Amino acid sequence: MSPTMSSCRAIQPDLVATATGDAVPGAEARVRAHVAACAPCRQELERYRSIDRIVGDIRRAPVGGDHADIVRGDLEWRLAELRRRAVTARVWSSPLGPILIARSEQGVVLVEYLDSARGLEASRALRRAGVEVLEDGNETEAFYQQILEYLAGERTRLAWPLDYRLAASDFHREVLQATATLPYGAVVSYARLAREIGRPTATRAVAQALRHNPLPIVVPCHRVIGGTGALTGYAGDKLALKERLLSLEGVPVVRARRDRRISRDAMYVVADHDREYCVPTCGSLSTLPLWRLTLFATRDRAESAGLAPCTSCRPDLHPLSA
Amino acid sequence: MAAHHAEIYRYLRRLTFRSAEAEDLSQETFLRAFRAYRALPPDANVRAWLFAIATNLFRNSLRAAKRRRAAYDGAKGRGREDDGDGPDGVARFNEARVAVEAVIDALPTKQRAAFVMRKVHELPYDEIAKSLHCSVDAARAHVFQAFRKIRHSLEDAQLPAAEGSA
Repeated sequence: MSPTMSSCRAIQPDLVATATGDAVPGAEARVRAHVAACAPCRQELERYRSIDRIVGDIRRAPVGGDHADIVRGDLEWRLAELRRRAVTARVWSSPLGPILIARSEQGVVLVEYLDSARGLEASRALRRAGVEVLEDGNETEAFYQQILEYLAGERTRLAWPLDYRLAASDFHREVLQATATLPYGAVVSYARLAREIGRPTATRAVAQALRHNPLPIVVPCHRVIGGTGALTGYAGDKLALKERLLSLEGVPVVRARRDRRISRDAMYVVADHDREYCVPTCGSLSTLPLWRLTLFATRDRAESAGLAPCTSCRPDLHPLSA
Repeated sequence: MAAHHAEIYRYLRRLTFRSAEAEDLSQETFLRAFRAYRALPPDANVRAWLFAIATNLFRNSLRAAKRRRAAYDGAKGRGREDDGDGPDGVARFNEARVAVEAVIDALPTKQRAAFVMRKVHELPYDEIAKSLHCSVDAARAHVFQAFRKIRHSLEDAQLPAAEGSA
């Protein structure tokens, strides 16, 4: 007895699957039983087998092999370019408010104080930077943890490779690199920093470069102050953060009405490039302008920076009272 | 990731007819993949994921260009607009192959993508389903429909006689 049309239609998916090597368990047996009694479907099975052979031929045919190599080469170049421009970034919460941390293949590229925790789009620096931003915190989490330890006073060094690509110019980069060498617990003036980089008349330009520091905390621009000892400015309008970071390092900050300034009399002092540190009243030091000085919060900090106590004022025997 | 490039390029060549478009789409696939790679769970199937991106880009490009082919009935005997491989119409078998390719090229997107992934790239059905955001059964149905259309677009004479046929 020959199968009905409806059973032919019903067997079709199994038949095609069997002919093309895609049969699910049981399908082949069903198809075998059906075609044994149905000549038209037996022919269809063979036709589908023919089609499958043609398709196999298409599969084995090369498709622009040479071209693929060129495309692949071009792609690898573009991916390398993308990798070079790519930074991964995430917004973290910190005692100083939300901070964005971004890094590139070379190192930490951006630390930005954000006014809100809205996410990466709150970052003005990233919008301006012309970088490819990928949201990811895995590569910056360890760095973030160190920032937290730093802000808790449990760490004095953030030894990470830095990527200065967001510096606005070579001059800015030079200022940032010089600032990065300032030791923990020390302060210098903008004017002193300008002299350090061989640009003694560029005090204001140095201040501007630090105002746009893309790496605050890590590049400790908070350790750079005005020539009168006033804190002057920090990250736009965040002077309170500057005071906080300095206080963390033990730098005495006093408030005088609208102003905040370091307390020069309460700090150890190094003139120019001396290798010794003094009490501020040593010899003629009290008459030197502040811009020539490096000031240290504590003896420990001065000695950690490789300085020896002065042999005439003997800060080791007569320390400043706390 | 870039290890899959040749395969994705080949896949897109099969979907797009034109090598320039396949080049653009395969590049875009990998640039997108690069940008999104970090969001991918560690146990994700990168290959199926790349096929999914390539398929989506291809579908978007179709939509954008509105260059969807007319029905496959015009396909018979029509050659591929290819810069490609093989001289035109040499053997009967090649004729059948050209006809089959023309039908494949005229299939609706999902059927074409499913068919090419299954029959050219031999992806398992669960990966095809992931790429097309559909069920495994639906993926099988797409491939079945593709075969049916190929079958109906070919004259019996175009199918080489197979041993055992009546």
